[in-house]
Amino acid sequence: MPNQRLRIGQLTTALADGDRRFRLAVEGLELAPGAVLAVTGASGSGKTLFLELLGLLRAPEAGGDYALLDAAGREVTNLGALWARGARSSALAATRGGVFGFVPQSGALIPFLSVVQNVALTQRVTGREDAGRVHLLLDRLGLTAVKGLRPDALSIGQRQRVSIARALAHRPAFVIADEPTAALDQDAAETVMALLIETATIEGVGVILSSHDVDRLDRLALPRLHFVSQMVGPGEIFSTAEMQAC
Amino acid sequence: MLTVTLALRDLFRDRLFLLCNIAVLAGVLVPLLILLGVKNGVYEALIGQLLSNPATLQIDTQGNAELTEAEIAPLRDWPDIAFLTPRTRSQFDYVNLYAPSEGGAALREALLLPTGPGDPNLPPGMVLAEDEIALSPLLARQMHLTEGDVIELVTQAETRPKQLRLPVTVRHILPETVATGRSVMADFAVLDRVEAFYDNYALPEYGVTEGRPLAERQPRFEGLRVYARSLEGLGPVQERLEAELGIGTSARTREVAAVLGLGRNLDLALGLTSALATTGLAAALLFGFWSDAMRKRGVLAALGMLGIPPRSLALFPVVQAVITAVLGLALSFALYAGAAAMAARMFAQGLPGEAPVTRLDWPQGTAICAAVLAIVLVAALASAWSALRVDPARTLREGH
Repeated sequence: MPNQRLRIGQLTTALADGDRRFRLAVEGLELAPGAVLAVTGASGSGKTLFLELLGLLRAPEAGGDYALLDAAGREVTNLGALWARGARSSALAATRGGVFGFVPQSGALIPFLSVVQNVALTQRVTGREDAGRVHLLLDRLGLTAVKGLRPDALSIGQRQRVSIARALAHRPAFVIADEPTAALDQDAAETVMALLIETATIEGVGVILSSHDVDRLDRLALPRLHFVSQMVGPGEIFSTAEMQAC
Repeated sequence: MLTVTLALRDLFRDRLFLLCNIAVLAGVLVPLLILLGVKNGVYEALIGQLLSNPATLQIDTQGNAELTEAEIAPLRDWPDIAFLTPRTRSQFDYVNLYAPSEGGAALREALLLPTGPGDPNLPPGMVLAEDEIALSPLLARQMHLTEGDVIELVTQAETRPKQLRLPVTVRHILPETVATGRSVMADFAVLDRVEAFYDNYALPEYGVTEGRPLAERQPRFEGLRVYARSLEGLGPVQERLEAELGIGTSARTREVAAVLGLGRNLDLALGLTSALATTGLAAALLFGFWSDAMRKRGVLAALGMLGIPPRSLALFPVVQAVITAVLGLALSFALYAGAAAMAARMFAQGLPGEAPVTRLDWPQGTAICAAVLAIVLVAALASAWSALRVDPARTLREGH
């Protein structure tokens, strides 16, 4: 699955909550294999919404372009068109699970599975079972000693590392990480971020991560997609993104 | 399969919730099972006691009728009648039994009862020939008779100079439940012969040469002995006999109706109790499973995010509900078995015969299991619907 590219063009999505309406637009973007893209912006600017859109968790509005390309630039899957079969379609779920690995802010680990079972879960879902790879990732992320424990016995930093291992276990093309260091102290955040980028780079997996930690992003010299939102009418917010060089 | 495995892991990790639901199921089911078992046991014991005595289904005509074979013949085709035999005039009901033996001879008077093919007083399939009889156990003991002994039925009419002596073989000794006192059962032809003797007809094959020729005889029957096919059929047959023949009858209809009425009332009470309990159980399970699915939205959202399709996620609560139901049923039947054993020790002596205090048939048990599974599945549909509608993005954003 790695060595695939993501292409976005004029992609929009909207979120309604009571009288409030939030609309987000991304003009154009292409993410190469192994590349790391930081998504930045103030709270409420639409970073998480963009990651949901990217990870096939949020439906795009009609008319945009969102596709998965092979190394030669040929379209492999029209990801936007998958929504035409409905949000509950098996194809959408299968593509989401196969193409992406997720590192949510909360970790979203399965509480009744051990560390090793959590990591292996994405492999079982996608049918790409490889016990050796699970143990390699656990070792690489320093989790071997706790592999038999359940998530509630782990520190927050350990949980995030398990989440990273799980996101990479099934060799996805891209990892989407939503503020993976938000709940961590400085040292733990540094370690987790370094591990995520290092592991993804070694694996040739593209990474899209959101973060408020501009200093760290500066130190890591990551390209950024910066979101800015503005009120465009009563209860209506419009958010756009622009690429910023590192 | 992955969803099933995950659902089971989650279920057994969340033991407290599982135990709560199992306790809810057992709390409702065990009392109902015991009620049903006791109802079956006690009621079946009463019914069994009634049916153990063929006289329960017996209808006897009263008074002196003059029925002809033409009037009786259509009754034999009534589907609710299991057996029917005409009766001769009651003044000829008694005969003497003469049994020669080494130490002398035994002679006893006994009530002569008519029988025929299908008589419920005889073992199934047994038909007495005209030279065979069945004896009451008291008579057999008093005369030291066993099956296969050859004796004579002897009768004497004041108007006739000679006795009628009919040689017969003891074919069967009746059980105590069927015949008390001194009685002998013989084919109706034997009784008809005795009546013909009293009516002064000649029976040359038995040495009675004087009297009118038997060919001139027009048999008339004083009454009938009828057996209904079932307890439920006893009352209707009795009413129909009285209506069509215009004669009075006697039967244990009131006693049978009381037991059947008790059964109906017990069924009604049990039905009402079951309906109320089932409604409560369904509501408890519905809200229990639904709140559990709501509680697990975070897990379901995480699984959805990782690529498990919503339709598979909907299976998650259904699998858990079915396993909960199976465990609840197993516990309920185990507790019922324990309660039944305890009841058998405590109350068995209060019931007639060897009847168990509680009884549950396989079909009843299967129906109960099917009904509980159906209730659980219906209750689980709400949580399945809830699981199907989990939006991973929104749920994870809300921090579940």
